[in-house]
Amino acid sequence: MKPIRILTACLPVVLLTVFATAKDQPGLKFTELPSTNSPLVTFRIILRAGSVNDPPGKEGLNALTASLIANGGTKNLTYAQVVEKLYPWAASIDVQPNQEITTFMGEVHRDHLEKFYKLFSDLLLQPRFDESDFSRLKDEAINYIQNGLRSQNDEELGKQSLNAFLFDNHPYGKLDVGTVQGLTSITLDDVKSYYKNMYTQANLWVGIAGGYSATLVETIKKDFAALPAGTFREVSVPAPEPIKDMEVMVVEKPTRAYGVSMGYALPITRKDKDYYALMVANSYFGEHRTFNGVLMNRLRGDRGLNYGDYSYIEKFEGGLGSNGVFPTLNTPLRQQFFSIWLRPVQPENTHFAIRNALFELKNLVERELSKDDFEQTRKFVISYSKLSAATMSRRLGYMMDSEFYGSDYYIDRIDRELKMLTVDDVNAAIKKYLHPSDIKIAVAVDEGKGKDFLDAMTFNKPSPIKYQSPVSQNILDQDKLIEVFPLTVNAAKSKVVNAKELFER
Amino acid sequence: MIRSLRILLLTLLPLAYVAAQAKGDAAESKIFPFPINQVTLDNGLKIVSIPFDSPGIVAYYTVVRTGSRNEIEPGKSGFAHFFEHMMFRGTEKYSKDKFNDVLKSIGADNNAYTSDDETVYHTMASADALETIMDLESDRFMNLKYTEEDFKTEAGAILGEYNKSSSSPFNTIDEKLRDAAFGKHTYQHTTIGFLKDIQDMPNQYQYSLEFFKRWYRPENCVVVIVGDFDQQKLIDLAKKYYSNWKPGVAQIEIPQEPAQKGEVFIQVPWKAKTLPILTVAYHGPAFSDKDIDMPAMDLFSQVVFGQTSDLYKELVVEKQLVEFIEGSNEDHRDPYLFTIFTRIKDPKNIDLVRDRIYAALDEARTKPVSAERLADIKSHMKYQYAMGLDNPNSVANGISHYIYLTGDPESVNRIYALYDKVTPDDIMAVAKKYFAKENRTVVLLTQADQSKSGQEVKQ
Repeated sequence: MKPIRILTACLPVVLLTVFATAKDQPGLKFTELPSTNSPLVTFRIILRAGSVNDPPGKEGLNALTASLIANGGTKNLTYAQVVEKLYPWAASIDVQPNQEITTFMGEVHRDHLEKFYKLFSDLLLQPRFDESDFSRLKDEAINYIQNGLRSQNDEELGKQSLNAFLFDNHPYGKLDVGTVQGLTSITLDDVKSYYKNMYTQANLWVGIAGGYSATLVETIKKDFAALPAGTFREVSVPAPEPIKDMEVMVVEKPTRAYGVSMGYALPITRKDKDYYALMVANSYFGEHRTFNGVLMNRLRGDRGLNYGDYSYIEKFEGGLGSNGVFPTLNTPLRQQFFSIWLRPVQPENTHFAIRNALFELKNLVERELSKDDFEQTRKFVISYSKLSAATMSRRLGYMMDSEFYGSDYYIDRIDRELKMLTVDDVNAAIKKYLHPSDIKIAVAVDEGKGKDFLDAMTFNKPSPIKYQSPVSQNILDQDKLIEVFPLTVNAAKSKVVNAKELFER
Repeated sequence: MIRSLRILLLTLLPLAYVAAQAKGDAAESKIFPFPINQVTLDNGLKIVSIPFDSPGIVAYYTVVRTGSRNEIEPGKSGFAHFFEHMMFRGTEKYSKDKFNDVLKSIGADNNAYTSDDETVYHTMASADALETIMDLESDRFMNLKYTEEDFKTEAGAILGEYNKSSSSPFNTIDEKLRDAAFGKHTYQHTTIGFLKDIQDMPNQYQYSLEFFKRWYRPENCVVVIVGDFDQQKLIDLAKKYYSNWKPGVAQIEIPQEPAQKGEVFIQVPWKAKTLPILTVAYHGPAFSDKDIDMPAMDLFSQVVFGQTSDLYKELVVEKQLVEFIEGSNEDHRDPYLFTIFTRIKDPKNIDLVRDRIYAALDEARTKPVSAERLADIKSHMKYQYAMGLDNPNSVANGISHYIYLTGDPESVNRIYALYDKVTPDDIMAVAKKYFAKENRTVVLLTQADQSKSGQEVKQ
């Protein structure tokens, strides 16, 4: 058989220079990444609205509306009929609601592009909003909170607890999916009304990549012109409330090991030059799921405390399963945050693990990066970032995120900025943005153990590590410092809550 | 988590084939759209290389055809996976830190995973780093050396890995289901192993050395390279770096599972809040690229439980009694389980849902699937596989799946040729052969304070 090169998805970033974004297009925004030889076509259609647009008391309205569009029917077809049509093509339609934007993702082999586009666009332009689909998806969202997040996924619970704690009284503070009471109060009429107001040309942004024709682009523009013109109104996103010392939220639920997330708001995003200096520092300190990071080497490598320990300088979703280590795309925020994530630790060692992570952060700030560490890390980040854009869909996602931030293509910008950096730039960024205090900490502990855990932290009780087996004297010597490393817990701002109380309203 | 594992499996299905089928020349077509080069070195190590249009990027996989299936000694469950961790602990030439420094210097994405039948080490990096990767990989496969202290410390990370997923009821269901359905075969335990064995791992240093000697041998491994490379240079490098690796893989007998002699029911009370999860499993066939049963079972799972099945429409879409339902037929080297999972929205409907599942299985014995629906299912599987092959990493991962199953990457083409041959009669035949009551294991997980009894019931 003659080999057929079916995909060009792995072409290096050079290809990206061909993309064109019609910023001057009135109404509908458009981002294109054509690849004539590709047999796949991938869509990312972004609604420039997210959970920040949920009306008070109706938390979840944005996500539920999007879910009902992506997992519902069209004017002419029921949900079951849509599924039946997509099935033989193995085409996919997914939706990803976030705080600031909501992304509808579609992927199809070009053999079926025309029919697929008709279905996909009908879902978006002529949604069925069937009562039965509404109740199915509303149930699903409520169940996700009540029976999933709160009880069956401690790692996600820890991260979402930190988000709620960090962005308390802030538009980012609710789950993307909403709250139990907000979802409960939403009616199908609310959904229809939200759709009517928000799904306008001004709010929609079409991304398309792969082996499509110019004719399709014209068709999309024509079809989407049927939506009302609308006006894009950005929700104001203030800085979150300042943090004084260490504010701790202990979340109780039945669990055998304790996950820890901690962090604070950062005043920079991908649009800022300093972000790239901090990116090198962060990779050195806590690169996600590699053995490069200080955190991973000290906590897991030296001490076997848990499965993984990482840090981030922006919201990081995904990168945990069989789909690889790179983050989910199209989750941008105007207000970003620094965070440290310790995967579940044995209960008796959790207090030590928190101290260990903050001890290492303090060391980073005080000792700085050496020139060698800087050079090695910079080189790594430049090469590694290119691997994160290995498919067409991901490159399209990165393009759209870059536009969100008002920056040029992220992977190219990393290359450019990092090549200009010096070790002094990175150390200056560490001093300016990283600190082991004024930080919020969320810990999920077993039921009934919250008060003792918080007291131990508040009163700075020594927390010697318990090893399963002996370690070297060198590590034991350092442990002596870490087990009494002072934590300045702000008792007035710290609390114990039950998971059942979270994400309720 | 189980659900995503199953989704992954279903996703393991190519494109040129699909296009060729549409043009009616299926007979000459192979599902895998790229050429597969295979070279075996004198010591038995097979090098599989697949050119892929990914300028400057290469995926490098080493498939060890050993997984938790090989853990035959009592108390040693989870060892294949533990050993995967130890492979990152260094050699004399490349200490743990130096190994990582080199990977960091080339900007590689490097990791590994273990399942029932395989342990896979994978790297994605720039193509000009090929020799560096081969140097690192061949060195640790031949010369791994770690201290007892490192060994014990790593055991803590394994417990951490167990802990990170322990809040998911699906892990517990997997543990209980295997333990109930298997009495002899090593599929009785999960890949991560029994908790008691994980806790005892620090004491097993000597066994770990034995494990390396047994399984990390060239004739038990296949190196897979996908992407941008020169074939002749690749083989020259492989000879340079791997020729000194001594063969001598262990021969062991994995206990075969006798036929099940009656239904087993287990109720699992769950301490945290949950909806009831019903799991119904039947012993099925081993993977084969020659017999029709396995491909027929794959199609059967779509016919009865797929998104376009009557049962799915009834339970998920129309009556909305369950959040999801799916039938999973995972590929395994030895006979494994066909497993149905569903999460029921209201505990009072557990019996009703269970009876609807049994009725659908009964109906499949005598009611042939329509020619049109069968064609749709075959089309779905082929497009799904094809669309997944969109970067060198996914291609390498996809072909590694068949390498661990049979040792031969061409199995992918043979199994898809078999899918094409499956008839409605074949599907009814597997429904009759495997889905009998006495071959069934049921695990029902319910919230502890809603369980009929607080104890596990093994009937």
